[in-house]
Amino acid sequence: MRTAPRVSDFLLQFVLPGGLLLGYGVWSAQADNFYFPPLTEIGSTFADTWLFERVPVDLLPSVSRLVAGYSLAVVVGVVAGIALGLSRRARLTSEPVVEFLRALPAPALIPFALLLFGTGTNSKVFIIALGTVWPILLNTIDGVRGLESQQLDMARSYRIPSRSVLLHIILPAASPRIFAGMRTSLSIGIILMVISEMVASANGLGYFILQSQRGFEIPEMWTGIVVIGLLGFVLNWLFLRVEARVLFWHRGAKGLLGDSAAAPAVESSADGHGPDDAEGRGPEAATAPDVPSTARSSRPVS
Amino acid sequence: MLEVSHLRKVYGSEETGNVAVGDLSFVVGEKEFVCILGSSGCGKTTMLRCLSGLAPATSGQILVEGSPVDGPPEDLAYVFQDYSRSLLPWMTVERNVSFPLRYKGMSKQEAKIATADALDAVGLGDRTKAFPWQLSGGMQQRVAIARALAYRPRVLLMDEPFASVDAQTRSDLEDLLLGIWERYAVTIVFVTHDIDEAVYLADRVLVLKAPATVTTVADVDLPRPRDQITTKALPEFARLRSELLSALRH
Repeated sequence: MRTAPRVSDFLLQFVLPGGLLLGYGVWSAQADNFYFPPLTEIGSTFADTWLFERVPVDLLPSVSRLVAGYSLAVVVGVVAGIALGLSRRARLTSEPVVEFLRALPAPALIPFALLLFGTGTNSKVFIIALGTVWPILLNTIDGVRGLESQQLDMARSYRIPSRSVLLHIILPAASPRIFAGMRTSLSIGIILMVISEMVASANGLGYFILQSQRGFEIPEMWTGIVVIGLLGFVLNWLFLRVEARVLFWHRGAKGLLGDSAAAPAVESSADGHGPDDAEGRGPEAATAPDVPSTARSSRPVS
Repeated sequence: MLEVSHLRKVYGSEETGNVAVGDLSFVVGEKEFVCILGSSGCGKTTMLRCLSGLAPATSGQILVEGSPVDGPPEDLAYVFQDYSRSLLPWMTVERNVSFPLRYKGMSKQEAKIATADALDAVGLGDRTKAFPWQLSGGMQQRVAIARALAYRPRVLLMDEPFASVDAQTRSDLEDLLLGIWERYAVTIVFVTHDIDEAVYLADRVLVLKAPATVTTVADVDLPRPRDQITTKALPEFARLRSELLSALRH
């Protein structure tokens, strides 16, 4: 199937990070700068702090808040998105509210969340969910609206019950867009996790960074920043793995698998739009939106 | 088997709307192969949507095996023109074919047999685990046909099913369809704008003029089994061809 990435390509990825670390290490060793401690010091502080003393104290609470808030956003966003995508009336009704809430930066609601949920985990989960739900919701709506009307016609002509249509046709058809929204939301979620923990919090990565800075523990502060960077990196990597697995059909259908067997599908999906095609769908269906651009969710394969 | 009487379909209001089907009446007998011939925009697709129960008729009646159509009938399967958009790319070929069967009340075992049978009939018995997008256009349309066959319909409606494949694949698919028609003993209503295709396949050809009204009926008495070369070389074939051509033009 795919050609295995060459070893040299793999090693190439380490050249720039390694070079940057080396450069910083060499510079910081002689710089004697309070704000930019030597790399060796950051390294030893990192080992002391994060292997594994503060993992249960700060890292796990942060991750669990992120997971809880993000999961909530995925469930709410997908369910509401499907409902709004399917019903024009519901969409029109909710649009002003959705647009208003979406324009509101989630951090603006931190004081309110603290009032409502207190300083514990719940207020953070609320802020994360509130900020990450919009990309998922809006992308799901678009994904559902971009559904091929012929797939629904097919389902109707075979008398497939609506529950199965939802599960086996609408949801998979919208999934490329849903994943595009989820990817945007993941980075927003990490941002909100950190911000929410910097305000009235007793633990978490954001709290740790702020506390370290306030205590002039600059190496500790830097290790916290490094941990957040690593966390984002790992979560994104995991996300891409899941996405590649779930949406493998989508990349195949778009001819992006680099598989010679997928090639004919590209050529044959380009034709097949006869002039009779739009005839007889009725005025409602004829104004259906264009197939949304799924380019955002498809990346070239290395 | 299939009776259409005074079918009328208007989009919008009766006065100002768009009349897609004017006044359409015809009867298709059991196991008959009828081709409906018409140029683009003559209302063929709307007519099929009414026959398949996907769109309600404005007036008139459609009977499938004596019972009126007021929604998609159980004994009828519809093969869409655009296979690339009616197959589900996230399901394998096998799953695409078997997907509707469970809802027809078939047991798992029955569905499995019907699926394997239908895929064999279209010559795709060895590609069951492939995904539609891994197949050529002609093969994808064969999957769509297999899906219709596995559903075990009495009537098969086909909307220009071979319009978007190349000429060689097209004649192969025509022969494949004739074989299937014999084997599954179904009634076929086949819409096309290709005169040769209509004459080659059909027992009877109806010529449709906008707004979807039958202007000419031609019985095709060419011997079966038909052959792409010898049948098309018959004088009768040429005669029918020019008769239908002039019917389409006038």
